[in-house]
Amino acid sequence: MTQINKVAVIGSGVMGSGIAAQLTNAGIPVVLLDIKLEGKDLAKDAVAKMLKTEPAAFMHKKNAKLITTGTIEDNIDLIGDCDWIIEVVLEKLEVKHATYEKIEKARKKGSIVSSNTSTIPLHKLIEGQPESFAKDFMITHFFNPPRYMRLLELVTGEKTDKKAIDTIAAICDEKLGKGVVRCHDTPGFIANRLGVYWLTAGVNAAIKNNVSIEIADAVMSKPVGIPKTGVFGLIDLVGIDLMPKLSDSLLSTLPEKDAYRDEFIDHKFVHGLIEAGYTGRKGKGGFYRLNPDKPKAKEKQALQIDANSFDESQYIKASRPSDPAVKAGKHGLKAVVTTESDGGQYAWDVLKGTLSYAAALVGEIADTIHDIDEGMKLGYNWKKGPFEMIDELGAAWFVEKLKEEGLDVPEILTKIGDQSFYRIEAGKIQYFGTDGKYHDIVRPEGVLLLRDIKLSAEPVISNKSASVWDIGDGVLCFEHTSKMNTFDEQIFEALIKARKLIEKSDEYKALVIYNEASHFSAGANLGLAIFMINIAMWPQVEDFIRTGQKVFMDLKYAPFPVISAPSGMALGGGCEILLCADAIQAHAETYCGLVEVGVGLIPGWGGCKEMIIRNQERESAKFKKDLAKIGKENLWFSPDTTPVGAARKSFEAIGTATVAKSAQEAVEIGYMRHTDGITMNRDRLLFDAKKRALEMAKDYAQKEPLTDIKIGGAGAKLALDMAVSDLQKSGKATPYDGVVCGHLGAVLSGGDKDLTETISEQELLDLEVEEFMKLLHNEGTYARIEHMLEKGKPLRN
Amino acid sequence: MEKSVVICGFKRSPMHFAGKGDLAKTRPDDLAATVVKALVEETKVKAEDVEDLIMGCAFPEAEQGFNIARLVVNNADLPISIGGATVNRFCGSSMTAIHIAAGSIQMNAGDAFICAGVESMSRIPMGGFNPMPNPAIFEKYPQAYIGMGETAENLAKKYDIDRNAQEEFAVSSHKKAAAAAESGKFDDEIVAIGEVSADGTIRPDSSVEKLSTLKPAFLADGSVTAATSSPLTDGSAAVLVASEEYADKNGLPKLARIKAIAVAGCAAEIMGIGPVPAVHKALERAGLKVEDIDIWELNEAFAAQSLSVLKELGIDEAKVNIDGGAIALGHPLGTSGARITGKAASLLKREGKKYAVATMCIGGGQGVATVLEAI
Repeated sequence: MTQINKVAVIGSGVMGSGIAAQLTNAGIPVVLLDIKLEGKDLAKDAVAKMLKTEPAAFMHKKNAKLITTGTIEDNIDLIGDCDWIIEVVLEKLEVKHATYEKIEKARKKGSIVSSNTSTIPLHKLIEGQPESFAKDFMITHFFNPPRYMRLLELVTGEKTDKKAIDTIAAICDEKLGKGVVRCHDTPGFIANRLGVYWLTAGVNAAIKNNVSIEIADAVMSKPVGIPKTGVFGLIDLVGIDLMPKLSDSLLSTLPEKDAYRDEFIDHKFVHGLIEAGYTGRKGKGGFYRLNPDKPKAKEKQALQIDANSFDESQYIKASRPSDPAVKAGKHGLKAVVTTESDGGQYAWDVLKGTLSYAAALVGEIADTIHDIDEGMKLGYNWKKGPFEMIDELGAAWFVEKLKEEGLDVPEILTKIGDQSFYRIEAGKIQYFGTDGKYHDIVRPEGVLLLRDIKLSAEPVISNKSASVWDIGDGVLCFEHTSKMNTFDEQIFEALIKARKLIEKSDEYKALVIYNEASHFSAGANLGLAIFMINIAMWPQVEDFIRTGQKVFMDLKYAPFPVISAPSGMALGGGCEILLCADAIQAHAETYCGLVEVGVGLIPGWGGCKEMIIRNQERESAKFKKDLAKIGKENLWFSPDTTPVGAARKSFEAIGTATVAKSAQEAVEIGYMRHTDGITMNRDRLLFDAKKRALEMAKDYAQKEPLTDIKIGGAGAKLALDMAVSDLQKSGKATPYDGVVCGHLGAVLSGGDKDLTETISEQELLDLEVEEFMKLLHNEGTYARIEHMLEKGKPLRN
Repeated sequence: MEKSVVICGFKRSPMHFAGKGDLAKTRPDDLAATVVKALVEETKVKAEDVEDLIMGCAFPEAEQGFNIARLVVNNADLPISIGGATVNRFCGSSMTAIHIAAGSIQMNAGDAFICAGVESMSRIPMGGFNPMPNPAIFEKYPQAYIGMGETAENLAKKYDIDRNAQEEFAVSSHKKAAAAAESGKFDDEIVAIGEVSADGTIRPDSSVEKLSTLKPAFLADGSVTAATSSPLTDGSAAVLVASEEYADKNGLPKLARIKAIAVAGCAAEIMGIGPVPAVHKALERAGLKVEDIDIWELNEAFAAQSLSVLKELGIDEAKVNIDGGAIALGHPLGTSGARITGKAASLLKREGKKYAVATMCIGGGQGVATVLEAI
């Protein structure tokens, strides 16, 4: 495999710059070029724009420095030392060919070239290009936004060099964190081919059945395992003006008898919308808009579609749909599509076509049903792919229904009979092949999934809130199973059991804390907390806090390594369980933070303590590094830490409930150490965490709790109080923020201790409990917790 | 007075915003050394005759620590026979450095002194790295630690200075500084720091309309904004102070004579009014009245604060900060005293006027003032 040390991205539009950013997120330097326009610096402006857009393209702002910008006309020579050149220019064949000519002249021998085209087939792209170009060329189709969308469609030609394919597949998977799906060289590849069909069917069915777009979206979303934007919301998001472009492109390239041609209708009202500037969220609105007559009220309006014309009077106040099919989602997909209601009929009409279309395309657009399912799951964020949906409906039932309605039954559906597209055989998932046989799904080297392990194993420990799994080689995996992975007594019980089990057995030597929910953990169970406050169960609350502290301390000082491996949100207690681990192996998209202040509390499970320790550690390392620069170990003036520095840094993070927007930011803020690991691909997280656990287990030395942590005392406390007071005066902090931060400052400055004294971990934990309990008795805290539970956002009292 | 004390030269670095400005990456001990070196070269003072280098600095720790004055002697490759003392009177630090030199000369304790000031507000935060206020003092006199913005708000209320007046004052400061820069009036005083040779804090296109959109910076319902406050700034300045006799004997240039000096305390919560008692004292010592003064260099900590002082002293605004003040040029705390005193001295000469006063307010509640006389 070729090493990819530097990459060029040609074209700095939304996709090009987004791809460049994701490359820098992986630490890869990028040359970003665009065309030369008088008075403009397109590539540079694109980078500047990305630094401002939300959600952020960069995992850390400093990554932008890895991008060198320039123009194709003046700086094409910059691609000379690039190992991979990604073309993201206009979707016009002649523009692409002209760009390739320039690339071919400037690139080094053996470098790889790929196109991010979504519409032009590979065989057209390499037409007329030299043999050497065809050998180094493929299509790498990213989805927008490239940092967050996991799908990467990889299309290769007959001439494409095998080694180059492996190189790009590996870098996209391991470094860029993408789910690489191999597609055939057919129009729209997998995701957009099916996705556009589905959206088209979704629009048509709503018009035909006279179903409101609110009902359509309410049904064609969460109830069927599709993101909440549904059909119309998604079109608004991607842009209504994009739809005719996509359909034009598909219609000009699809096979003659393709089912999309039958589904496609060139609706007049769509053109009306676009002409009136209703291009979706980027425009004045689209199928939905905010009532322009009441700009402050943020009243959502929905379009009542008239297929033949559009005018603004068709917007009416959006209603909250109450179709029974929405609720049927709880009972599964079949319940939704068989509900006798407008919504149920709509769901069936849209899905029957979409699922049949998918079935008809196996072999044509991809080798396997699994590739198609992955494409839709990673590219459109569907919970289940089309074939998993058919399995849920029952393939035989689905075929029967198609026949009843006189519809064609695609070949693979005639072969499947009573069986399902996926099955589990000897602990392995298998898929149904076009050859009518089942084949194992083979995970790439370095991918380890708990859901695979669970197929054939029983948990070694289990209760209603947690399970502990043997993930092989002597490593156990602790999995939260509670609602939103919150913490309760059962979680602690399972953690205690896990520690005992590993301690006693010769078989086990490390623990990984990991789960495969979208979010690692939402922290303590607030509902439980407010219940306990309501009936004044103060001793029980205190006991619960102390239990948590003890469990986390027991993990931190266990005679074996503990690795926390988060992905998604890890908040409050969910962040504290990271802090008590020997090491964190985080998915790059980890959003952690000590957010207790938002509910009027302070971290009570060692969060304050760990932040102090981490910040002092970091300060001390910096001082040591400075000394090393001049070749010394210490000097008369070399301090180990400063009395206030660590407290202040911890105070800033906790006092403002700072949530890191990536693992890289978590390192910056101090939740993660520089020595902790970051895994770009979600599917590789458990493997990496386990690997780290095993490495640490080799000669693991049990540690002793710290007893000599430095503190700032009363002077530090006053400094922190004064800082908050200034923020309050300028309106940046609320009155109750001041109260909460006062208690936080008391912990971080070491309580009543003097600057000359040190504090132990246990003493800091005692302070946490003391100040936590004081806050819990306050009405302001109660109001914050209640507000959070009801409204889902912090109360600014 | 037994001896006559004169200011022989004035140099300063360009002024740049802390954090994002062009001097953010420059260590303060390097910054000050460059300015001091240029001062010695330009005045052609015999370095071995210099008694002491007195450096004003408001947060003398970290890169400004270790007695930075002495380290700047070393860093500027000056003779080791020169002493070094770091002085802290917050914003008044380097004006006090000049006062100490003047007093020493009167005491016959030296002929020539380098009086400098430095502050890298990028590299050492205002308040320092380890602020540890005393709870006992806070208990009995909390305003000892009051934030500066709030004191400006107090003055705005007390002297009834509305937001618009503050903004007009700020815009005027920028316009004056921009005009001075444009016509090369800073060329003689600025010492290039590496590639950086011009001020980065002046906003020539500043306007009241633009400023009126800003949010209050310190009190939610207040009138003081970031634009009507002096910005956090990196910079250094230095003046050469000598006995007139020594200057004449050695052919040194002479900008102005130091006629009188004073320091005065005031209430901490309205620290910005500090120049009023200080100016009264200094003028009395000089036997002069406010009307006698032709040139005023008043440090613009805040527009509200400056306008309060002008109102209370009855100063004609046309005589104040004619090349712009700290709102436009920045206020690197320890630096500003040397900058405005050196500036006042060179303006006396340039404008051909008789008397000048440099004065400034000081956090915690003080004012300092220096009365200068043309030679």
